[in-house]
Amino acid sequence: MRTVTFLPGYRKIDVPRGSTILDAAQRAGISINVVCGGQGKCGKCIVYLQSGRAEFDQQKYLRFFSEDELNKGACLACETTVQGDLQVLIPESTLIQEQKILIEGRDTQIELHPSVRKYYVELEPPTLADPSPDLTRLLWGIQKWGGPVAEKVYVPLEVMREIPTLLRHSNWRVTGTIALVPGGYRLVDLQENDTSNRIFGAAIDLGSTTVVAYIWDLLRGKVVAVASNYNKQISCGEDILARVNFAKKNGLVKLQALAAESINTALTAASNSAGIDREDIYEVVVAGNTVMTHMLLGIDPAYIIAEPYVPVVQRALSVAAGRIGIAGNQNCGLFAFPAVSDFIGGDIIADIISCGMSEHDEISLLIDIGTNFEVVLGNKEWMFSCAGAAGPALEGGEVLFGMRANPGAIEKITIDPYTLDPTYSTINNIKPRGITGSGLIDLLAELISACVIDRTGRINTQIEHKRVRTGAHFPEFVVAFAAETDIGKDIVITENDIKNLIMSKASIHAACVTLMKQAGVTRHEINTIYFAGAFGNFLNKKNATIIGLIPEIGLDQIKNIGNGAITGANLALINRGVRKTLDDIAKKIAYIELNAEPSFMDEYTSSTFLPHTDLTLFPMVQQLLDECRLRKG
Amino acid sequence: MGYDLHFGWTGVIGPVTLGATKAEGGTRKMAYHIGGGTTLPFLDTTPPSSSPLVALEICDNPEYWSPIVRHFCGDLVTTADDWAKTAETVYGADLVRLYLTSTRERNFSDIVSIGKTVESVLQATALPLIIEGSNEPRIDSDVFQKCGEVAQGEKLLLGTAEASRYRSIAASAIAYNHSLIAQSPIDVNLAKQLNILLREIGVQRDHIIIDPYTGALGYGFEYSYSAMERIRFSALKGDADLGMPMISSAIDSLNIKEVREADPEQQDDMAVQWEYYTGIAAAVAGAEIISVRHPKTVGLLKNAFASFKKSADFSEVK
Amino acid sequence: MALKALDIYKILPKKNCKECGDPTCLTFAMKLASGKADVDLCPHLDDSAKSLLGATTRPPIRLIKIGVGERSFAVGEEFVLYRHDKTFYHPPGILFKVLDTQSDEEIASVTKRVRDEIFTRIGTDLRFNGIAIENSSGSAEKFAQAVATVEENADLPLVLISKNFEAFNEALVQVGSYQPLIHAATMENFREMCAIVKKHNCPLVIKAYGLEEFIVLAKSCSEEGVKKLVMDLCPQSLGDYIMLSTAVRQLAITRAVPDLGYPVYFDAANSQLQDAAIALGIIKYASIIITPPLPVASAKAALTLRQNIYTDPQKPIQMNPGLYRVGAPGKDAPVLMTVNFSLTFFTLEGYLESSRIPCFLLIVDTEGLSVLTSVAAGKLNETLVHDSIKKFDVENEVSHKTLIIPGYSAPLSGRIEEVTGWKVMVGPRDAAEIGKYLQEEWKKQ
Repeated sequence: MRTVTFLPGYRKIDVPRGSTILDAAQRAGISINVVCGGQGKCGKCIVYLQSGRAEFDQQKYLRFFSEDELNKGACLACETTVQGDLQVLIPESTLIQEQKILIEGRDTQIELHPSVRKYYVELEPPTLADPSPDLTRLLWGIQKWGGPVAEKVYVPLEVMREIPTLLRHSNWRVTGTIALVPGGYRLVDLQENDTSNRIFGAAIDLGSTTVVAYIWDLLRGKVVAVASNYNKQISCGEDILARVNFAKKNGLVKLQALAAESINTALTAASNSAGIDREDIYEVVVAGNTVMTHMLLGIDPAYIIAEPYVPVVQRALSVAAGRIGIAGNQNCGLFAFPAVSDFIGGDIIADIISCGMSEHDEISLLIDIGTNFEVVLGNKEWMFSCAGAAGPALEGGEVLFGMRANPGAIEKITIDPYTLDPTYSTINNIKPRGITGSGLIDLLAELISACVIDRTGRINTQIEHKRVRTGAHFPEFVVAFAAETDIGKDIVITENDIKNLIMSKASIHAACVTLMKQAGVTRHEINTIYFAGAFGNFLNKKNATIIGLIPEIGLDQIKNIGNGAITGANLALINRGVRKTLDDIAKKIAYIELNAEPSFMDEYTSSTFLPHTDLTLFPMVQQLLDECRLRKG
Repeated sequence: MGYDLHFGWTGVIGPVTLGATKAEGGTRKMAYHIGGGTTLPFLDTTPPSSSPLVALEICDNPEYWSPIVRHFCGDLVTTADDWAKTAETVYGADLVRLYLTSTRERNFSDIVSIGKTVESVLQATALPLIIEGSNEPRIDSDVFQKCGEVAQGEKLLLGTAEASRYRSIAASAIAYNHSLIAQSPIDVNLAKQLNILLREIGVQRDHIIIDPYTGALGYGFEYSYSAMERIRFSALKGDADLGMPMISSAIDSLNIKEVREADPEQQDDMAVQWEYYTGIAAAVAGAEIISVRHPKTVGLLKNAFASFKKSADFSEVK
Repeated sequence: MALKALDIYKILPKKNCKECGDPTCLTFAMKLASGKADVDLCPHLDDSAKSLLGATTRPPIRLIKIGVGERSFAVGEEFVLYRHDKTFYHPPGILFKVLDTQSDEEIASVTKRVRDEIFTRIGTDLRFNGIAIENSSGSAEKFAQAVATVEENADLPLVLISKNFEAFNEALVQVGSYQPLIHAATMENFREMCAIVKKHNCPLVIKAYGLEEFIVLAKSCSEEGVKKLVMDLCPQSLGDYIMLSTAVRQLAITRAVPDLGYPVYFDAANSQLQDAAIALGIIKYASIIITPPLPVASAKAALTLRQNIYTDPQKPIQMNPGLYRVGAPGKDAPVLMTVNFSLTFFTLEGYLESSRIPCFLLIVDTEGLSVLTSVAAGKLNETLVHDSIKKFDVENEVSHKTLIIPGYSAPLSGRIEEVTGWKVMVGPRDAAEIGKYLQEEWKKQ
């Protein structure tokens, strides 16, 4: 057996003599780009022999190499056989095409190309004949081992001070960590011996309610741990507005610390579960809304929430994580997503890159629903965005028996149009306690299909049925009688609940239409509607269309991207190229203030109908409802 | 030079018939066929669209009526049938709009008397009638049923359906072949929504008159004006759910500050001018029935509408 | 119809060079589309692109200023046929007509009335705009005398109406520098009339029969160097006026016939139905309306109609936020919160007055948006309510802490309670039900 060591990762593998380097690489779990399938035809699998004995017919494949490359020991991995122990350098260009990663929430692959990398180097000690300084020696070594050009690497003083000792103590075998920073590269860390397989990064979704952390092995391109916890700022105020008000009363320092602490807690939990040292986390990427990002960075958010709604900073920021209290490697960097406006923040930019709408010619509509909603319409050339208050109805608030997606919540309902008896399923399959937002959307769609409510959402009290009642304050429909519930009360939906739901859905639809009108785009030109946020995961697409929450397009053109913020943060963590595009995307997006848009009121009123006042916009729904009506006679 | 005052429109205001003559199964001296417009009001030339109709509003319990009208009409207001007759013979109204204000009494339940009132007004005047039923959802069903029943064959215009209560009135209109007024709060979309609701429970489009709600001049009229223009505009562009004639009744005109606080000797004038200016603007915006409360406004509006149709009547044609 | 932002964006260079002052071509396109930026700010557009874009923003109807000084007014520069498409910008001047056959006293009295009469509605002063003096005597001398009488009594915009060149010359010696509107040039006399107005650079009314004749006349005057023109359409009836003015407006705003892009003059005094004519003039595109002095009822109705029609439909009339009293409310009277959309306020106030229950109305600043819209757009929120309660010192006006909010703002009730510490009662959606609601719900308290 012969040992092949692959650089720069220093991955070792034993293979029988005569194996190809390609075989060895594949067995070591390194994906090498072989377009031709390993037949020596494409010339893509170029590697460099650093030391050891191998057989390769350079003359036969001359056409693939420059003279310079040949001097460096270039050969084709598929046509080179291992004869003795080898050290082989795999250049990035040979890897990148292949080592793609499928990220949760995104259906296309992305290259592993993080902005921080480790380089293990074995240096020749200085001699009288070669007395070049330690730093030069180190950086040239890194350059030689595949790193950036020595002149472009900035070395901070703290690292500089450690160089002489470390080099000599380790017998000139060290691992340097190089980060891509604005304006060039930075040697962020130097360690003794080979630590190149210990390099991690964290992607963070900094939400106002929860914080989600993903820890990635940046060498292998794998998620090693995931953790989430509540945002500890909740102690200073339930919603964003309350927290900004808290910040105004000298509370910014505390809010900043709590944001950092929330992230640290998630990072600790995740790194503990994966058994990794926090010192090995070299980079943190954070996607959060505009206010959250300001608070994390300790920037006053007061001016964002009041007219004229001005953020302090919109562009992406790179800072030292330690300076804002995030615990990782002492020189860990932190990258914060850019924002567009007060409401369209880094979380939405993250949604955009995770659904990929900014890469296509086709027009997409992105909707992120929570208590507030954000909508983005556009393609790779242009994008319009807006935001508004959806009201809490879709999250189960302001609805008598509405609730969050907790056990016992009804999340799916159908109603028999003849008997009016509902069939529902609850979370964890226990007796019902209430109804979630997605359950409410089902309910609304089913009630209109069964002609229990009219298109304005009013209950037809002339229906004589035990489930249709006048109620204490409003007419109501009984979803579950007390005996079948877990709360000992009838679970009902009142006409008032329905009104609130219709108001919420009308705001969202009106926002979509306002953007579409601004762009001059009709529903036919929308290729895909993406739902971001937890809300979308449980949503019945057909019912969402029936009630007119979204413009009617083909049901197969509606996609859920789940937590787009974390997906986007993941992308920006593992691929430095993505990160470069963020500021451009943010700049491309024009923000439309719905308050200042005169037609919004009109669009809103016409959306307060099921599905919409202009039925020609919902031909599928119209046909469906007509059929329901016919069936019922 | 070519110009097109039809703006390339394809839609038409659908026809609605009000009243029925003997030959048509009723007892009215005429039936009005309104609607039919293919462009903005007063721009149709071949054939010219019909003049807007002027309705005088009366009631069966004057306690709830404007003191200005009570003062002007004197004892007339105590008997709805005399009042209706005078509206036709003296004031020259095209339509009588009877408000059953008696139903506003607390715990009103005398449905029989409602039937009698409607019958006697039908006898007192030969004009087609608009009947405004109850203001109380509790008795809606009985009141509309009774009105519809006693006036069967007369092709009444029944008021008023709203998005929150339209089923009772629609049931009566369908059962006895009357038309109804569909009122929505000053918004083209809300007007359309109500028309769809009515259509879906079986009211035919040619039995609906849109009331987009008319705010008094200076008190929301600017919204009503544009709501009417937009409804007409949408109808002409081909939206059949808005292609019905409109009625405008600025009922607050007699209660607004300018009228209330006018010098006593000018109060009638102020009330009349307020109704008059509003009525003209509403007609130009698209209303085909202008409903007023002051008897003096009736003649003024009728003269004005007649002159809108004439080709030359200026005192000094230069 | 104006171009959409995206249509404009496609014409722009898409360089995002920021030289226009905007961060991107798209945001610049949005500003262009809404008329908030000038095409010339973009240094990379060629002339054809500029004219394409410029044509959509340049007013299709010329702006004409009548008179000088405080009471002068401008008309024209309109863009739409329907006010709901955008707005009507320049309300018509309504001028009272005097005849030079009237006595000096009569003329002076009308002049003083226009000078002094103010009718205030919703914080705005409504006035008539000036005096039209007609040379009905035919005498240049009498005309000059009448003009002098008006001039002695007020600095008001004037319209001078005559068929006598000499009368104009004599009158203009006195008032030519005050930019009166001169009525009128016809196909027969336009050269002489142009010569007269050019001396003082006054605006000129042109009179013709049929739109073809107007085009010729407007061109001819323009060639004579007179471009400040106003058109007297010479309608034969009120119905004729509706057709003519609609046709002219339509052809002008679509830029189909640029030579009709002038404001319209309408003499309501020619009609038997003066009030109907004034109302028509206001709603159907007249910019100068002449009428005999109006009795008070007609005067108020006319000015109110003009105010209504020339309100920007996209910027509703707003009330000043504050705490308003209905009746004489005591410390235990109910407090009702609503928005500062004037129509909401007036409607609610009306129903409250008729309910005869004294109460406080807390009007919060939603920039004139209605309840429904301000809730949807997030303008009406708990912070606004909280701040308004503090700002208008509601806590010291009443002895309780219960707030009645509009039915359509029900979704905010919980948050308002939380932030203000007040108990919230959700009122009816329809203002008409407020009386009953107060009777039934408030009295229970």
